[in-house]
Amino acid sequence: MMPSKPALRGRKPKVLVLRAPGTNCDVETALAFKQVGGDAELVSIADFKAARVRLMEFSIVAIPGGFSYGDDVAAGKILANQVKLYMKEIRNFVRLGRPVIGICNGFQALVKAGLLPFSAAGEQTASFTANDSGRFEARWTHLRLNTQSMCLWTQGLPEMIELPVAHGEGKLVLKSPRHLEELKKNKSIALQYVSDDGKLLGYPHNPNGSVFNIAGLTNPEGNCLGLMPHPERFTVRHHHPNWTRQTFMKEGIGLEMFRNAIKYCQS
Amino acid sequence: MSVIAAGTTYLVEVRLRPEFTDAAGAAALAQIQAAGFSAARQVRVSTVYEICGPLNQAHVQQAAKELLSDGVTHEFKVLNAPPVLDGMNHWRVEVWLKSTVTDSVGESVRRAIAELGLPEPEAVRCGSVYRILGRTTKNVLERTVRRTLANPIVHTFTVTEAYD
Amino acid sequence: MTERRDRAGVPARRVGEEVVGGRQTGDHAAALSVKASDAGSLRFTVLPPKELKELSARLGWSLNEPELEAIRAEFKKVGREPTRGEIETIAQTWSEHCKHKTFNGPVRYSDGKKSRLFKSLFNETIVKATKELGKPWCLSVFKDNAGIVQFGRSGRWALAVKVETHNHPCAVEPYGGAETGIGGVIRDVLGAGLGAKPVLNTDTFCLARPDYAGALPGGALHPLRTLRGVIAGVRDYGNRMGIPTAGGGLWFDDDYRLNPLVFCGTAGLMPSWAVRKDVKPGDLIVAVGGPTGRDGLHGATFSSATLEGEADRQAVQIGHPLNEKRVLDALMAARDRRLYRGVTDCGAGGFSSAVGELAQDCGAKVALEKAPLKCSDLAPWEIWLSEAQERMVLAVPPKNYPELEKLFLAEGTGCSVLGEFTNTGRLVVSHKGAPVADLDMEFLHDGMPRVERRAVWGLVPKPKSRPCGARKGPADRGRLGAILIRMLGHLNVCSREWLIRQYDHEVQSGTVIKPLQGMRHDGPGDACVIWPVAATGEWADQAGFALGHGLNPSYGRLDPYWMALCCADEALRNLLCVGADITKASFLDNFCWASPEVPEQLGGLVRAALGCHDAAKGYGVPFISGKDSLYNQSRDEKGRDLAIPGTLLITAVAPVNDITHSLTMDFKGPGNSLFLVGVTKDETGGSLLSQMEGCSGEVPKPDPKAAARAFKAVSGTISKKLILSAHDLSEGGLGVAVAEMAFSGEFGASLELDQVLTSPAMLADETILFSESPSRVLLEVSPKDDLAFMRAMKGVPVRRIGSTTANPLIKVSGQDGSVVLETLLVELKTAWQHTLPEAMR
Repeated sequence: MMPSKPALRGRKPKVLVLRAPGTNCDVETALAFKQVGGDAELVSIADFKAARVRLMEFSIVAIPGGFSYGDDVAAGKILANQVKLYMKEIRNFVRLGRPVIGICNGFQALVKAGLLPFSAAGEQTASFTANDSGRFEARWTHLRLNTQSMCLWTQGLPEMIELPVAHGEGKLVLKSPRHLEELKKNKSIALQYVSDDGKLLGYPHNPNGSVFNIAGLTNPEGNCLGLMPHPERFTVRHHHPNWTRQTFMKEGIGLEMFRNAIKYCQS
Repeated sequence: MSVIAAGTTYLVEVRLRPEFTDAAGAAALAQIQAAGFSAARQVRVSTVYEICGPLNQAHVQQAAKELLSDGVTHEFKVLNAPPVLDGMNHWRVEVWLKSTVTDSVGESVRRAIAELGLPEPEAVRCGSVYRILGRTTKNVLERTVRRTLANPIVHTFTVTEAYD
Repeated sequence: MTERRDRAGVPARRVGEEVVGGRQTGDHAAALSVKASDAGSLRFTVLPPKELKELSARLGWSLNEPELEAIRAEFKKVGREPTRGEIETIAQTWSEHCKHKTFNGPVRYSDGKKSRLFKSLFNETIVKATKELGKPWCLSVFKDNAGIVQFGRSGRWALAVKVETHNHPCAVEPYGGAETGIGGVIRDVLGAGLGAKPVLNTDTFCLARPDYAGALPGGALHPLRTLRGVIAGVRDYGNRMGIPTAGGGLWFDDDYRLNPLVFCGTAGLMPSWAVRKDVKPGDLIVAVGGPTGRDGLHGATFSSATLEGEADRQAVQIGHPLNEKRVLDALMAARDRRLYRGVTDCGAGGFSSAVGELAQDCGAKVALEKAPLKCSDLAPWEIWLSEAQERMVLAVPPKNYPELEKLFLAEGTGCSVLGEFTNTGRLVVSHKGAPVADLDMEFLHDGMPRVERRAVWGLVPKPKSRPCGARKGPADRGRLGAILIRMLGHLNVCSREWLIRQYDHEVQSGTVIKPLQGMRHDGPGDACVIWPVAATGEWADQAGFALGHGLNPSYGRLDPYWMALCCADEALRNLLCVGADITKASFLDNFCWASPEVPEQLGGLVRAALGCHDAAKGYGVPFISGKDSLYNQSRDEKGRDLAIPGTLLITAVAPVNDITHSLTMDFKGPGNSLFLVGVTKDETGGSLLSQMEGCSGEVPKPDPKAAARAFKAVSGTISKKLILSAHDLSEGGLGVAVAEMAFSGEFGASLELDQVLTSPAMLADETILFSESPSRVLLEVSPKDDLAFMRAMKGVPVRRIGSTTANPLIKVSGQDGSVVLETLLVELKTAWQHTLPEAMR
């Protein structure tokens, strides 16, 4: 079943890029959306607190990477609390089928706010702990997309892609093994870390030790995606570490993910 | 601790549940082993918050549950004095920033507690607890800690024999 | 404003951590209980000189006798006693840290043959070269918090760059020291002109080897702990600021064991209209950022203090990156709305230096009670001098204040009015109506007596060890390979991946040439290239810039003059190898030296400064900013003075006109030609070979004019897209360079040493392979482009010395045609990769 389309369509879909103190990938995320025809606006969580903005006026919500509130207490935790408090409509936004993406710190916030894995009750069933290496890891990873997934953000992309990760607390853990079975059944695992030949291997291919090599989760309907890798860091060819090699011909695959969401809103 | 403020002071310790890998603990273990405490067998790291202000027990419970801990990965308790049980083998090392050193995490937590709708604490400090398993003496452990986990220029620390 | 040249010196004795840990804060409280008025009651103007000196020492002013006398004379003229606040302000303004007495002051230099008097060492060497070069794209040099040059070709943008050190804090608390060091240099760039948005951080550390097993005096931290701490500090602060850390270096030498060096650098973008400050009388003095506490009092003056304890304890803080990020975001928003006319950061000296700098040409009136405080028991002079981090001062026209305040409060950071700028030429500070200071700006900034220092340079005695490359007889086939493997595993050469991965080097999506390069993203890049799209928002503009470094204290042990030239040469070649336009390159200098009061030490420093001058003139590259950190010496465990080797970090930055033309250092395919540009000489002095084999040789001596011609030719071939990969030859010479290019690209190489252009014509194979002659680069060229390449390089010393191969090994034929080295890439790479992770375990 396809999710229902956003109420507000148009040539230039309005994209909300959420900021909080310590957010630091907001500008480049907004630039990526603008590049594919989005009307991206940086909105601070304080604007929601002061009721200066209305969530439902936007077609797309992006929660970018960074260290919201310094990642004090735990990565994304305080932001998740703020989202639960001041952006209550976000659950409805997701339920209406409008595209939502949480990248890195944004993914951590979505998980800790109980939005991913998505459940009717809004219960938090996953979380993040420190990378198994005990260190912050900035590296490019090979990812395998779940071709069965409904995820609108990754539609039409090749099954194997590359994106960089940069995080210290990126190890996805689940409340119980039962939840992993549920995620598999619901086709909610959007991306997995793999080796360059597509195998589910350990470190450094899986940079953080995530359960079942999970790099990204979606809701079963496929409009809400959370992922640790940074698609906004691969929007042009020369973002790739190997672009200077003659054999490398790929364009910025991350940009396609943003384009998918914009096209979805325009159709 | 040297925070001077009115109101009640609470200590909340937030621990990673035992089923999760403690990467920080593993790193600390390697360091203290290399610094001479070779008998150390295990280290688990947890975070401890000292919250001082016009809050009651229920407020602190709520802050611990909704802010300081993670429902999936953590367990927490509001502490009084840690129980002192076994000696020589189970150790509890608490490391705090000195009161003269800015505690940025404490400041974030102070603001975030108020955001939960609770009374705003006057001060919050954040420290680390290392629960260390291994046979040694207090003196040796203190020396090891000074070489690895705490720098007396900016930290204060306590070593107690404790099992909990 | 004068460029503030840093001096994070170290007291003669290092404070023991045990000692400090056990000491109560009582003595500190006693010292601070002297109230603002107490200095007056101490009858400053009538105290006998000896007692005055004791008072200065006791209160941590670090003023010398002529300075104390100058203050006494000034206040006798004024006809009253100075307040504590006034003396504190003067002491901090005149400190080595802020005034750079040595570098700016007179120096009588003698090298045994000639002697020369410099009225100001800095002005007559580094500044002079920049002035004579007169590059129009240098927009602001040596006068603001950072050097500012033009960026891109649109004329809309400017690039601010600053590198400074934070050595002493890192020695006592590496984590907090590194954090506050980065925090400070970021604020320097935020406080340059009307503020630049930081787009790149760099970090260079000089430390003792992490496996150092010798003795250390009580209190000195082990180098491994220092290294762990500074890496963690850079990681936690830089990553949280959302600024990519994509450049830097590591250098290990056991003479840094008591005085580690930590260099932090930041580059930022600003619109060209924001290059100049224009503070007007009537503008409000606005403090933004965190509250003021008793942090780091006397951080500026403790360098020359023989006191210990109090100053040390307070000078060290843990950073608060979230607060600084809030300031960054609010400040950039306020800048783009043009809400203020001047900005500077609160570094050493806190408000006193920030307000003093902004008010230098007008005057200021400050009411300290309006400053938000962390604790209420601060004396007024403490508020004035506190070095609490993450604060800045703005000059704001009153009508703009409400809008500005809203921006800062919305980000959750402080914003308060401390007073206003005046046209009185006086600095007037009060607290709740009570006077704290009333000083003449001219006396404050120009009243300091100058002390002439003596500098001597004698030639280093000839070493007794055998010369490198002197081993006779046919080369043992395994030996050169074994040396190469050991070189690659050497701490000063080995892979830095272990730490680079801990730094977010791609945030802002602009790092198009990354610090790690090659097939598996793990090869050692020469420099990073930044495409600052997140700062400019101009997606279609392909303009970028490259930043690289040169550092080699080993050469400095032989002659700091040639070290300076070699560092400049290497920094430029690093930029050249990523495809930057080095005809528009700029240099930044960072001197770290031992005590300038030792004439031999100062002599070395003068040599290095002369080298900088000649490098700038020779390469045609101006210096735009710099700093010096002196007194980097401490007593070792036996009570002897241990000085660091004289250290010069040269940072080079240059535009990359089109980022899609930039280059990496990894071999791109088999069967390509390898060209070596430059002449290989018998220059093994200070080289890696000499250190590993215990042999000696001549220090490498660049010829800047010839080198600049060669670089220009190479640059031309890169823009014609004739070059597939380029790498500079530095530590370990040709051998290390070819190995790095090969294993990063996963193609082998076959070299013929008899093809290498050498001078004199006959050199040992070992020397050709490992000599560190400067100005050389190794280039990979497709055979179809060989002719075009050679034509473009006409008049430049260059030879085709071999080719790349599909076979994954390095094969080198000696001058007699026999194979002298044949080693598998996997063996070379493993050696290169395993050292650091093992050391950090």
